[in-house]
Amino acid sequence: MSIKNNFKKGLNIRNLIIFSTFIFCTNNISAAEGGPCKDYGECDEFKYSLNDMASLQRGASTFLNYCYGCHSLQYSRWGRVATDLQIPEELFFENLVFDKSIKPGDLMTGSMSKEKSAQWFGVAPPDLTLVSRVRGDDWIYSYLRAYYEDSSKQYGVNNLVYPGTAMPNVLVALQGNQKLVCKDIPVIANNGGEKRDELGNTITKEKCGYLKVEESSGELTKDEFDELIYDLTNFLVYVGEPAKATRERMGWYVIFYFLIFTALSALLYREYHKDYH
Amino acid sequence: MSEMVGKLFGWVNSRLPIANTFERHLSKHPVPSKVNFWYLFGALASVVLIIQIVSGIWLIMPYSNTEEEAFSSIEYIMRDVDYGWVIRYMHTTGASMFFAVVYLHMFRGLLYGSYQKPKELVWIFGCAIYLAMMAEGFLGYVLPYGQMSYWGAQVIISLFGAIPYIGESLELWVRGDYYISGITVSRFFALHVVALPLVLIALVFLHLVALHEVGAGNPEGVDIEEYLDDDGVPLDSVPFFPYKVLNALVGIGVFMTVFAIIMFFFPEGGGYFIEMANFEEANPLVTPEHIAPVWYYSPYYAMLRAVPDKLGGLIVMGSAVAILFVVPWLDRSKVASIRYKGIYSKIALAFFGISFLTLGYLGTVGVTEVRKTMSVICTVIYFAFFLLMPFYTKYEKTKEVPKRL
Repeated sequence: MSIKNNFKKGLNIRNLIIFSTFIFCTNNISAAEGGPCKDYGECDEFKYSLNDMASLQRGASTFLNYCYGCHSLQYSRWGRVATDLQIPEELFFENLVFDKSIKPGDLMTGSMSKEKSAQWFGVAPPDLTLVSRVRGDDWIYSYLRAYYEDSSKQYGVNNLVYPGTAMPNVLVALQGNQKLVCKDIPVIANNGGEKRDELGNTITKEKCGYLKVEESSGELTKDEFDELIYDLTNFLVYVGEPAKATRERMGWYVIFYFLIFTALSALLYREYHKDYH
Repeated sequence: MSEMVGKLFGWVNSRLPIANTFERHLSKHPVPSKVNFWYLFGALASVVLIIQIVSGIWLIMPYSNTEEEAFSSIEYIMRDVDYGWVIRYMHTTGASMFFAVVYLHMFRGLLYGSYQKPKELVWIFGCAIYLAMMAEGFLGYVLPYGQMSYWGAQVIISLFGAIPYIGESLELWVRGDYYISGITVSRFFALHVVALPLVLIALVFLHLVALHEVGAGNPEGVDIEEYLDDDGVPLDSVPFFPYKVLNALVGIGVFMTVFAIIMFFFPEGGGYFIEMANFEEANPLVTPEHIAPVWYYSPYYAMLRAVPDKLGGLIVMGSAVAILFVVPWLDRSKVASIRYKGIYSKIALAFFGISFLTLGYLGTVGVTEVRKTMSVICTVIYFAFFLLMPFYTKYEKTKEVPKRL
C-alpha cells in the first residue's frame, strides 16, 4: 500500500459522479444572476500589474491630482506610498503632496470635511482605500470609462456601470464628451451566422446604448484615456492591499518549501513503510 | 552529562508519567496498518487548530475590540504591522481550511461508519467540536466589523428572537445592546479568544482520549482487536509513532502546499473566504445587496431560507446539526464500511453528499423560485438520509467483511 494507491482508492468513480453532478447543477442555476456592471453588461476585464512601477506612479499622480480632492485614502500612509512606488520621498512631497504640513508617517485622510461634502454632493465621497477590494478592479476600470452625457442628471452625466451615480465625471476634460449612441448591428440568424437578404446583403437592426466619445472633444485619445484609467485602477489595486505584490512573490518560496517538505517526508515514509510491508 | 540528564528524567518521570504516556499514546499505540487518505483529515484538523491558535494570539496583539477602531485596526494589521498580512491571512484561510478538513473528516465518518459501537462517544465529541467551531467561526467573523460582519451578525442574532417567550430578551442578552454595537464586538471578542477556544481544546482532548481508548478504525471496518500477537498487540496494526506520524507528515505537506496556494494567491477565495462586502466598514444604515454567510455555513443558511417561517427555519437548522449526534443509533447495519454495505446505503450517501453541496451553493446566492424549490428538495433529502437510515441499513443486503486487514 502506498500513498498513491490510497489516493486512487479514494478518488473513485462514485466521488467523481457526485462532484460532476454538483458542478452541472450549479452551473445551470448561476446563469440567471445579474452582473455587477449593471447596464454596461459584462465588466471589462482588468489585469493588474503591481510590478509596473511607472504605471503605479502615473496612477498615483492621477489619483492625487484628480481624485484626492474629494476622496481620502485613510488607511494608507504618504511615506509608504512613496516607498512602495519607488518615488524619491523629496520628489514625491514636492510634486504630489499639496499640504506642506504633512509628514511621511501621516495617513492620507483627505482634505475635505465629510459634513460639508455631504451637504454639497448629497452624500460624502467615500474613502477609496479599499474600493478595489469592495467593488473589484474590473468594476472600477469599467465604471470610470462608462460616463455619458445625460441632461436629466444633476451634473449632466450618468453612468452605465453605476446608474444615478452621485459623482460628476471629473475626467471629462481628458476623456471628452461621451454619449450614448445607436448602431446598426447585424441580425444573427438561428444558425449563429449573420442574417442576409436575397441579394446577400447583411440585414441589420438598430441597437442603442453604445458609448461613443465626440471626436476630439477631449485632451486624450480613447487609447490614451483607457491607459490613464488602467494606471489609476492599478494604483487603487495597490492601495487596496499594499502587500499584494510581496505576497505573490513570497508565495512561490513558501510553496516551494512545502513541496520539498512533502517530497522528503514521502521518502522517509516510504523507507519506514518497508518495515511492515 | 548524559548520566545527569538520565537522572533528571528519572526524577521527573517518577513524578509525572512522561515515558508511560509517550508509550501508551504514541510509540506503542496500535493503529490499523491499512488506511487510506480519508484517515488524514483528523491530523490535518489538529494542524489547523494549532495554526489558528498561534496566528490568533498574534492577531490579538494589534487588534482593537472597540466599535471605532475594530475595522481600522484590521487595516492597521494589513498595512502597518510587519508581516501582519501573513498572520491575518493565515487566520482567515485557516478558518476556511478548518471547516474544509472537518467536513471531509466527518464525511469519512459517514463513509466508513466511524461512529459505530464502541466509537459513539468519539463521534459525539466530534459533533460537539463541530458545533463549537461553528460558534467560534461566527464570533470571529464579526470581529473585523465590516458590512458582512455586521449584517451577518444581525441575521444570526435575530434568529434568537424567533424563539417563543424568551426570544426577545435572549436576543438582547446575546447582543448586550439594542442593536449590534461596540458592546457586541467586545463580548464576541472575549468569547472568540478565550471562552470558545477553551471549550474547543477541552473537546479535542476528550475526542482524542476517547479515540485512544477504543482505537482507530479502518476503511474495511475490520476489528483489528480480534487477532492479537503473543504480546496482545493487534496483528494488523503498527505503532502510531513513527509510522502513522510519518504518514500524516506527507498529508500535512500536501495540505500545507494547498494552504499556501490559497493564502498567498487567493486569500479572499473568490469572495467565499473573505466576502468583498466585508472590506467596507459596518454601516447600520446601509444593508448590503444580499447577505450571504461564508461558505461553511451556507448549507444551513439555505435550509433556513427554505422554510418560510422564521421559527420553523431555526428548528430545521438546529435539527440539521442536532441529528448528527444520534447517527450512532440510527445506523443499524451489521457492517461499518460503505465497502460492505448494501446499495441503499450507497445511494443514500451519494444523495446526501449532492444535496449538502447543492445546499452549500444555494446558501451563497440570492433567492429565486427555482432555487427555493431546490433548497426544499435538498433539505428533505438531507433529513431523509438520517431519518431513513434505521430502515435502509437494516434491511439491505450487506457483503461479508474479511477477518483481517
